Amino acid sequence: MGDFTVLIISSIFINNIILAQYLGACPFVGTSKKMETAVGMAGAVVFVLTMAGMITWIINTYFLVQLNIEFLRTIAFIMVIASLVQFVEMFLKKSIPALYAGLGIFLPLITTNCAVMGVCLLNVQDELTFLQAIITSAAYAVGFGVALVLFAGVRERINLGRVPSPLRDTSIGLVTAGMLAMAFIGFRGMV
Amino acid sequence: MAKTIAQEFKKGLWDEIPPFRLVLGLCPTLAVTTSAENGIGMGLATTFVLVCSNMLVSVLRGIIPSKIRVPCFIIIIATFVIMVELLMQAFTYGLFLNLGIFIPLIVVNCIVLGRAEAFASKNKFLPSLADGLGIGVGYTLSLGVLGSIRESLGSGTIFGNAVFGPNFQPFEFMVQAPGAFMALGLLLCIMNILGKK
Amino acid sequence: MREMVKMVITLTILAAFSGGLLAAVKTSTSDRIEQAVLEYVQGPAILSIMSDVSNDPLADRFTLEIDGTDVDFFVGKKNGAPELVAFETKASGYGGDIGVMVGVKIDTGEIYGIDVTTHSETPGVGARAETDIRFKTSFVGIPIIDEEKIQIGDDGGDIAAIGGATVTSRAVSLAVRRAGKIFEQHKSEIKKEVDTFSG
Repeated sequence: MGDFTVLIISSIFINNIILAQYLGACPFVGTSKKMETAVGMAGAVVFVLTMAGMITWIINTYFLVQLNIEFLRTIAFIMVIASLVQFVEMFLKKSIPALYAGLGIFLPLITTNCAVMGVCLLNVQDELTFLQAIITSAAYAVGFGVALVLFAGVRERINLGRVPSPLRDTSIGLVTAGMLAMAFIGFRGMV
Repeated sequence: MAKTIAQEFKKGLWDEIPPFRLVLGLCPTLAVTTSAENGIGMGLATTFVLVCSNMLVSVLRGIIPSKIRVPCFIIIIATFVIMVELLMQAFTYGLFLNLGIFIPLIVVNCIVLGRAEAFASKNKFLPSLADGLGIGVGYTLSLGVLGSIRESLGSGTIFGNAVFGPNFQPFEFMVQAPGAFMALGLLLCIMNILGKK
Repeated sequence: MREMVKMVITLTILAAFSGGLLAAVKTSTSDRIEQAVLEYVQGPAILSIMSDVSNDPLADRFTLEIDGTDVDFFVGKKNGAPELVAFETKASGYGGDIGVMVGVKIDTGEIYGIDVTTHSETPGVGARAETDIRFKTSFVGIPIIDEEKIQIGDDGGDIAAIGGATVTSRAVSLAVRRAGKIFEQHKSEIKKEVDTFSG
């Protein structure tokens, strides 16, 4: 159990997917202008990333490795993620419309969120077991959510201030993200 | 045709230069620009995929049914990404190791899919080629510049050659994650100032 | 219905085309890739350990299955006789796995040299494991199965830890101890394979 705690903490804080591994920077910058969208995106990512981590692990272990065609991993994973997103979208629309209303518009964006693809590839690269892969995927997703929501909170404040015009928007956003990343470096050495 | 081929090429170098004007493809921009060499390597790999996928998408634009065009584009892009992956593994293994998972991640780089969807699927072969090449070269330039800045400040070298003399203390912050975000943010600010003129 | 059929056909043709093309590229590059992996990942480490051998250790290699995974062994010859063997083990350091190449004298079981192959340690701190000569040479000459001695000074062993990078130093020591276990348990197989390279 101790191992899993370490895994979870290091995936959320120390190796934070955006601030330490640079994955998912596009939605991080794109959907963090308002708290509401940030929370929606974070929710959608947690949901899809956990499932994608699970399914790609199964596909990799029982299909790609067995048939010795690991070099096709990229194409297999992207197809799985794209279909999964589509499927989740249809499922939510029919069964849980309330959730769909909240997450719906973010789902198509997830296909090209490199955090999802990146974590699936990292899971394979680190040769994790099935249980580890699920936990890591979920923890990375939570890390993404934490960083995104924190960042959105800061950004909402910044937009109220008077920022010099060339720095406005994305530019000051990235500098702020840098400071947030610096804070996250403080978590290193925790484990 | 409203624009000439040369114009399609040139727009990628300034008017729509990614990732500054076209805020897409940020992840590799942040991750691989720890040195000028890595940045340019990543840029060239992306350019290859961009040009090839733009050409093929443009050729096949009449054949692919519009309902399933996105899955088709993804297959085309992924094919070229794997090809780059294999070729880099074979011929530039050192670079392949440095770029790591960011090579397969070209597949989810919004620039590539974005150009296929927004440009190549609506335009003829040559303009699509020029568009891919222009955006690709622009991206390579951006990554090269950002890589040079970060490498020179963070490690005191450019392309592995020392630039500041022996007494320079490397500013290691620049080659780590926070430096990546800040360098990109400030470079964007400079671009905004220059763009105003 | 017709549209549906067209979609399926397009996707199938595209997928087949992509699969075929990639298989072709894959086959034509696979030799080159294997060579490149050896040269870049393990090559520099092996050559730095076995700088004074008379053969090419990258070419004289064999593979043994150890605990379910394939481990490559590289043979070093002196004056034509195979005397050294090097192989890689791993242990987790501060920022992920550290790969350590360990060279052993076959007859005495003494460590001939070690080198770090892959790591993701903090630049300027743990990353010095790759360059710190004092740290690396402190392994030389210790019998590889001596678990007491292959520990950093703070833990009661003979290894000179890298200043400020205790975690990394411990991890490298652990990797070397693992190499010792492999060497001890598979000694006869290793010797048998190595002997095929003599003459």
